Amino acid sequence: MMRKFLGPVVLNVFAWTTILAVAFPLFWMLVTSVKPQSELFRRPPTMLPESWTFEHYWHLLSQTNFLVYFRNSVMLSTVTTLLVVTVATLGAYSLVRFRYRGRESLAFMVLFTYLLPSVVLIIPLYLMLVSMGLSNTLFSLVIAYTTFALPYALWLMRSFMAGVPDDLEYAAMVDGASRMGAFVDVILPQLLPGIISTALFTFILSWNEYLYALVLVNSDEARPLTTGVMNMLISSFNIEWSLLMAASVMMSVPLIIVFAFLQSYLTRGFGAGAVKG
Amino acid sequence: MANVDFRAVTKSFGAFTALHGLDLSIKSGEFVALLGPSGCGKTTTLRMLAGLEFPTTGDIIIGDRRVNDLAPGERDIAMVFQSYALYPHMTVAENMAYPLKKRGVPKADRGPMVAKTAEMLHLTALLDRKPKQLSGGQQQRVALGRALIRDPKVFLLDEPLSNLDAKLRSQLRAELIELHRRLGRTMVYVTHDQLEAMTMADRIAIMEGGNLQQFAPPAEVYARPANRFVAGFIGTPGMTLIDGALVQDQGRWLFEGDGLRLDVPALVAGASAGPAAFGIRPEDVHIGRGDLQGEIVLTEATGHETIVTVALSAAVRVVARVPGTPSLRIGERVPVGLDAACAHIFAAGPHGVRLNHPSGAAGADETDNIAAPLRVASKGVVS
Repeated sequence: MMRKFLGPVVLNVFAWTTILAVAFPLFWMLVTSVKPQSELFRRPPTMLPESWTFEHYWHLLSQTNFLVYFRNSVMLSTVTTLLVVTVATLGAYSLVRFRYRGRESLAFMVLFTYLLPSVVLIIPLYLMLVSMGLSNTLFSLVIAYTTFALPYALWLMRSFMAGVPDDLEYAAMVDGASRMGAFVDVILPQLLPGIISTALFTFILSWNEYLYALVLVNSDEARPLTTGVMNMLISSFNIEWSLLMAASVMMSVPLIIVFAFLQSYLTRGFGAGAVKG
Repeated sequence: MANVDFRAVTKSFGAFTALHGLDLSIKSGEFVALLGPSGCGKTTTLRMLAGLEFPTTGDIIIGDRRVNDLAPGERDIAMVFQSYALYPHMTVAENMAYPLKKRGVPKADRGPMVAKTAEMLHLTALLDRKPKQLSGGQQQRVALGRALIRDPKVFLLDEPLSNLDAKLRSQLRAELIELHRRLGRTMVYVTHDQLEAMTMADRIAIMEGGNLQQFAPPAEVYARPANRFVAGFIGTPGMTLIDGALVQDQGRWLFEGDGLRLDVPALVAGASAGPAAFGIRPEDVHIGRGDLQGEIVLTEATGHETIVTVALSAAVRVVARVPGTPSLRIGERVPVGLDAACAHIFAAGPHGVRLNHPSGAAGADETDNIAAPLRVASKGVVS
């Protein structure tokens, strides 16, 4: 009798502890961002702010480059996502539907680049981008992010594509569609869950990327949020905690919104290959 | 409506040759079944006709047009796939309207055409459903509807009934026969199920190992198999085939093998003594009368008939079809008669050619064509 109750209790305690451990930093971030400066370092700390203020948010938006970084991040992540999804979808179509020499090795080679630590690639990539005259541009980051988002995206799309029966495409072709027409009319709609998962994955990756942005871009016009905020608020002498937390909240909001709407697709994407998409 | 011609069509996939020089002439309005075991080349043949594969050599003609290099959509064909291949994101109505849309039929005209086809296939109530919400039989009807909605020159059907349960299969089989009779369109039907081929087709093309083995009406394929492969493949239960040799004794032909010495029906001109196979269908084996003795090994009663396996010797077992449920005990010794007039003699080897005229109709090719269906029908083609 005891065991019957004890099992779920232990499980629940464990689950809630984990959730609290993960959620507490987020909660603290939110709380800190709305505390006045005077309350920040008080001991003992206040769990909920005694007085609420949005001055940090206002300060970020009106007196810093935050909006420029935000726009850069949005553009960067959006363009990268579009590029990666387009190339991955067409690439996966080619890998799954056409038979040609080196098809499998090509797919594995692409995956192999994903296994290399990004630090190894960053210097060669930087030199290449400089020689192309792309240093310090948003576009250089688009290219860089594409190089590391594409392999995973391609494999993800490939498993989704493999789940779409060949016959569907053949049926469309017999019904009078061209190969491209069959792809657009029949294959793409089946791939929608895969495309959304891939897009979400790429967007999150690009949005949160730090290392490449730090190395490849050092002008304020082209900095994304990650390096921009760090550069602006963290110096050797001081960390602007309240501003940093306010910036972090605003950085998280777009992802949380997108995620909330599309999370069912993302979890489906992780299951792709195991279960027919 | 159009005729379909395969002229010396070969198809190779790398080093593997799936089809060796196929010559096949399908008449306009004919219902032809491509029948054979898996890997025989029947599906490759159909896919080449559809334009989903391209022949390595040879020509494919639809009507009077060589279609080798035409895309599937340009061939004026419609196809029903084994998997139905319904577009999952479209409703039944949208699925059926898709071929019309792709061929530029104005939107206003599509609705009535969909409604008409849906009515013919009893799908009217389901037009707004998605394929996932339909049963297997309903999905099959939608796939048929999508093919029928246009008026293509040739219908291609790739094992369309194989995913259905037995009852539904026989029901849809009857509907397909009726449909073909009503529309009178050329239909090419791939199947590995001889019952489907025998009951539906005007002519059956039996294929094996990438070669056409025989192309003839069902009754003829049954009564006069062109070679040993066809003889063994067609008929349930199958023809008993006994290996031995043809010998000539005082001007009379005899078959000898495994201690048996059997009379042989009229041989074709040019048949010679040597290794051969003796084939006899279950309905031509008689239990309880005859000059051979055998021991009953197995009885399988299906109600209206009983399939009896009899051992004539240690090596030779023949299968007999006996009407009703006779009282036969396993191990019982019974007289057995083989109807020599109905025997089939083949040259040695798995594809040995036929060496005798059927059922004593020596040389009477034309009359036999008329007589054969009647004779076979009275005995029941297949169970």
